[in-house]
Amino acid sequence: MKMTRVSFEINNEKVSLDVRPYETLLETLRERLMLTGAKEACGMGSCGACTVVMNGIPVRSCLVLAPEADGAVITTVEGLRQDGKLHPLQQAFMEKGAVQCGFCTSGMIMTAKALLERNKKPTKKEIIKTMSSNICRCTGYKKIIEAVEEAAKKI
Amino acid sequence: MVLPKFEYKKARDVADAIALYKGQKGKAVYLAGGTDLIPLIKQRLSTPSVVIDLKGIEELKSITNKDGWLEIGANVTLFELKIYPWIRDNLPAFYESLEATACETLQLRGTIGGNILQDTRCLKHNQSLEWRTSRGFCLKSNGKECNVVKGSKVCFANYCSDNAPALVTLGAELKLEGPKGERVIELTTLFTGDSLKPFSIDAGEILTYIRIPAKKTKGAYEKLRVRESMDYPLVGVAVSSVGVAAKICVGGVGLQPRLYELEDAGIETAIREIADKASSDAKPVANAVVSPAYRKKMVGVLVKRAVKRAIGEGK
Amino acid sequence: MNNEFNIVGKRVVRSDSLAKVTGEARYTADLKFPNMLVAKVLRSPHPHAKILKIDCSKALKVPGVKAAVSGFDSYGVKWGVFRYTQDHAMLHTDKVRYIGEDVAAVAAVDEETALEALSLIKVDYEPLPAVFDPFESMKDGAPQIHSEYKNNVNIHIHIDVGEVDKAMEKAFLVREDTFKAAGEAYAMMEPYAVVALFKNGYLDLYMPNAGPHVRAKALSNMLKLPLNRVRIRHINSGGAFGGRSEVAPGDLVASLLAIKSGQPVKLVLTREENATASRQVHDIVATVKTGMKKDGTILAKDYKVVYDGGAYSSTGPIATSIPFYVYEECYRFPNVRYNGYRVFTNKGIRGMYGCHGRAFLAGNESQMDLMAKELGLDPVDVRLKNGLKPGEVTATKSKITSCGLKETILEASEKTNFRKKWAKPSKRKGIGMGCVAIMCGFPMGFRSGSSAYVKINDDGQVTLVTGLVDNGQGNESMVIQVASEVLGVPMEDINLVCADTEVTNLDPGAYSQAAAFVGANAVRVACENARKRIVAIAAEKLGIKETEVGLKDRAAHSIKHPDKKMPISWVVREAFFRGEPIVATGSFFPHIDFEREWVTRPWGQMAGTFSFGTSVAEIEIDQETGKIKMPKFTSAHDCGRPINPMAVEGQMEGSIQQAGVAALTEGNLWDKGHLLNPNLLEYKVPLACDMPEIDTIIVSSRDPAGPFGAKEGGLTIRMNAYSAVACALTNATGELFTELPLTPDKVLTVLERKKGVK
Ligand SMILES: Cc1cc2nc3c(=O)[nH]c(=O)nc-3n(C[C@H](O)[C@H](O)[C@H](O)COP(=O)(O)OP(=O)(O)OC[C@H]3O[C@@H](n4cnc5c(N)ncnc54)[C@H](O)[C@@H]3O)c2cc1C
Ligand code: FES
Ligand code: FES
Repeated sequence: MKMTRVSFEINNEKVSLDVRPYETLLETLRERLMLTGAKEACGMGSCGACTVVMNGIPVRSCLVLAPEADGAVITTVEGLRQDGKLHPLQQAFMEKGAVQCGFCTSGMIMTAKALLERNKKPTKKEIIKTMSSNICRCTGYKKIIEAVEEAAKKI
Repeated sequence: MVLPKFEYKKARDVADAIALYKGQKGKAVYLAGGTDLIPLIKQRLSTPSVVIDLKGIEELKSITNKDGWLEIGANVTLFELKIYPWIRDNLPAFYESLEATACETLQLRGTIGGNILQDTRCLKHNQSLEWRTSRGFCLKSNGKECNVVKGSKVCFANYCSDNAPALVTLGAELKLEGPKGERVIELTTLFTGDSLKPFSIDAGEILTYIRIPAKKTKGAYEKLRVRESMDYPLVGVAVSSVGVAAKICVGGVGLQPRLYELEDAGIETAIREIADKASSDAKPVANAVVSPAYRKKMVGVLVKRAVKRAIGEGK
Repeated sequence: MNNEFNIVGKRVVRSDSLAKVTGEARYTADLKFPNMLVAKVLRSPHPHAKILKIDCSKALKVPGVKAAVSGFDSYGVKWGVFRYTQDHAMLHTDKVRYIGEDVAAVAAVDEETALEALSLIKVDYEPLPAVFDPFESMKDGAPQIHSEYKNNVNIHIHIDVGEVDKAMEKAFLVREDTFKAAGEAYAMMEPYAVVALFKNGYLDLYMPNAGPHVRAKALSNMLKLPLNRVRIRHINSGGAFGGRSEVAPGDLVASLLAIKSGQPVKLVLTREENATASRQVHDIVATVKTGMKKDGTILAKDYKVVYDGGAYSSTGPIATSIPFYVYEECYRFPNVRYNGYRVFTNKGIRGMYGCHGRAFLAGNESQMDLMAKELGLDPVDVRLKNGLKPGEVTATKSKITSCGLKETILEASEKTNFRKKWAKPSKRKGIGMGCVAIMCGFPMGFRSGSSAYVKINDDGQVTLVTGLVDNGQGNESMVIQVASEVLGVPMEDINLVCADTEVTNLDPGAYSQAAAFVGANAVRVACENARKRIVAIAAEKLGIKETEVGLKDRAAHSIKHPDKKMPISWVVREAFFRGEPIVATGSFFPHIDFEREWVTRPWGQMAGTFSFGTSVAEIEIDQETGKIKMPKFTSAHDCGRPINPMAVEGQMEGSIQQAGVAALTEGNLWDKGHLLNPNLLEYKVPLACDMPEIDTIIVSSRDPAGPFGAKEGGLTIRMNAYSAVACALTNATGELFTELPLTPDKVLTVLERKKGVK
């Protein structure tokens, strides 16, 4: 089948590449752009491990078709660091001990990043609600919630 | 998990979408947020040759409130509706149902059109092709009989939209536009009870707008689920009331939501009667993660709760 | 915590977290190698069937397909953890025994091609009658799943201590109840994946694993390759929880494909395959009979526990035993009989789980509460009365050394105002307590010990080599922290080489709770040996006694006159000049009775030490829907000295989710041999909004043998959190649970049962 050309801005860089029309954005990121920070844990939209931020909105990239991303602005966990400095969320996840096996981490961080973009001062309840979009099998979420609270204070 | 082959087309406007559809002889599907559709395609429950993306259609992204109608474009996301103050203040059943849908990330992507037109679900149907091949195809996969109720020739899949029952209680209408032109239907007439074709929309028809009478209502939505986020409803009950009358709609059990009307929601015995009736009408089967007997009972419990909360009693 | 150490006991940022928050951490599925192929596995659609023929010829003709294999391409060596459980060839040629079992596989240039090829493999089966319920399976005439095991009984563990029948007669109060629990899914977030490369007769493998050395051993047997040619490489692991301890069929599949094709091969399971065709957790039915004295002393216990083992032995003898042991390591049982049966069924293979045994443990604990209530006692008193104390010996002759059980019970109950709340349950609210002990390591023959190697480079930076593995718990960071403490260099100066069988030595792995007690102990010893050499040279150079030398901040200094110091790098260089570079090894072998055997000799010292813990759950029950809310959860844990309290808390919090909240939500659902919820939507891993407010209490003790006094951290809570929840239900309703998980439908049944009684 024909490939189709898509162009988007990813982590502040413009890219243009050929994709299968039936390829997911997650596959494009992981297989073509070598951005393997987003993970596939379920592939069915049930866990959030593949979350990236697209046009300001967190999306489960396993449910987004690559051609849907044409013209979009995308941020993945690899694009959070600015001038070598960690994003406050990354810093807080480390310091609060919110990372164990790490497989959910990038999805968690990206979900939180989109939250902090639309809501500068979320309450703890709001943070819990948002973060209930993602599954973590290791941490019991406590330190993840604390990390988001901490980062919210710093942004 | 790789998707099967299909082509992707992006529609500029409604007419363009319909034209694209016509060119495909029935093997095309419309795509909005994809949160219902893409999992179905991954499991080969939907096998389109072309996917027509409606998200680029700007006109379907509007919410307008005029001439006594709140008109919502099908492309509006659940999250946008949730933060639309007029809805929160006047249509509490709808607002609560939005809040209770899936999880916030999915609300940010999922559209109201897609929500209403999501396929019915069953524990023994929403499985991969390998799974279903091993188990034997059920009615909904064009097999000979139901895999849940042995020997049954009717399907017991559940219609799991959280928002449709709320919209039903609000007297919502749908605007459709298709190869044969435009029409408006009442939301209640959308449901066919046919598992292979659960909706009465024609091939190629696009849901363009959802219209709700712009009246202040009281209301509530009660949802039963195991986890407080992400999960589809095991039972969902919406209630909206104007004055003393109330409309009650039960979702999550069976192929279509069921509507009940209560003349006076202030009469305790009337509430109980409706709750009992709803419970006895509901025919849940063993196709969800809790027992059918329990779901049946819960229909009554949630009806009572939702009514009481809607009229301002109860928690 | 006041603490005489520089870094041990501090809340340090884990060494692995930077790579994980930036997305740089590599997991198996992230790996790419030139010419790498994608593998896909053809799986059995039958729960039980004879394989008549497997024909891969058409698949091989698909352009882009580079290799195809089935059991006929392997040596047919059957793997088993024990000599007497060798029944798993991974790719079988005689029969398939569960839906989803690996039958054949292909490697192709991409996934689409591989899938197309799979559809062209032709397998002729002759379906056989299948059995899905262990009780049915044990009956005469049931389909025989393996010819070697009569009545499909895979393992029978029989333990009989004292005189149980007599003691039951003497007991003031006797109760017998039966408890069931659905098996869980490990649901580690990373679906199983393997990358295999075969070059010059050497096989390199990457996969999430909880013990690279046992894995290499199994594959070396199955592939008839010497151990040094099977190199399991280090890679991050997205969770294990007991499910990654053993060799997996995918390991053999990927290896065979790589050998056949001569190209690197990557196999990544889908979430569904991960649920149906990697390990699952046992469904359990436990009958618990308890005899108590009037004062609440347990006189006797009589157990019959049936474990649904699925189709193969896996870690059978261990799995059939562990729930009993973690209980007898906690309480005094003068008379006890345990009959544990692991029974084969035509379902996926069941393995050990971090939260293994919930029907048994939660059953015991909630029954104890009901009996205590009848005797006018409260749960705190019965637990204190029956709990083991330091120096005591368990029913099967394990000596308990350090033991903070009592402290955990007291702290948890005081913090929650337990006695008062328990005495006054409302219909709606309940509080419950669960206790357990955990062995830190268990007998695994010569694999029970660990050894490590450390070298100090000429710039003073350290390279540490150990077989220890991290599945997300923080083991890597823990040993770096230990090395940092001993050697007086910051954590960032230490390069850890671990879990790579080419260079690392044997280690028990991360599934017997031995990482801290055994693995970190070996690291400590190695670093202490290196330290001695550093200190000797430094003492000579600084002109002080060896006992006066301290190591801190990359320098050796005089303890008396801290200004008198020299960089460790100088010491190291001096050592090089002397032709005796600073390198050292260190080993630790726990004090275990190696005569002990799970089936034939179930007594003797189980482990070098035991950790203890108490959990308290507070619940609210919706009387109409049966839905349980859990506003508060408190856990107290004696983990010895916590090396990194933040990591221990993390383990405890995760345990509260995975065992405590999961007791309300998680369980595999079956339609005969079909798993109904092989996904993350209908298998309900609790979400952030489902979590209680958590209070973790580290009751720190000093284990005499543990590294800096440390023991196991967290698993204790994983094995008592569900008990607390079950006990809270009993407290609120006066009834025992019959089945876990306590989804609202099951809770409503309990509530209705109670109403019926009234
Ligand atoms: C993990 C998970 C949990 C979920 N939980 C819930 C839940 O609790 N409650 C709930 O209600 N839903 C739930 N959903 C389903 C889904 O997220 C929502 O229903 C969402 O609103 C669907 O919208 P969409 O835009 O993504 O639909 P899509 O997937 O794009 O479309 C759904 C269907 O509608 C058709 N369609 C879409 N728009 C139009 C249109 N304008 N005209 C004609 N046809 C159209 C599509 O062809 C498709 O058949 C869940 C989904 C996931 C993955
Ligand atoms: S991998 Fe996309 S939601 Fe789970
Ligand atoms: S840290 Fe392991 S899944 Fe979240």
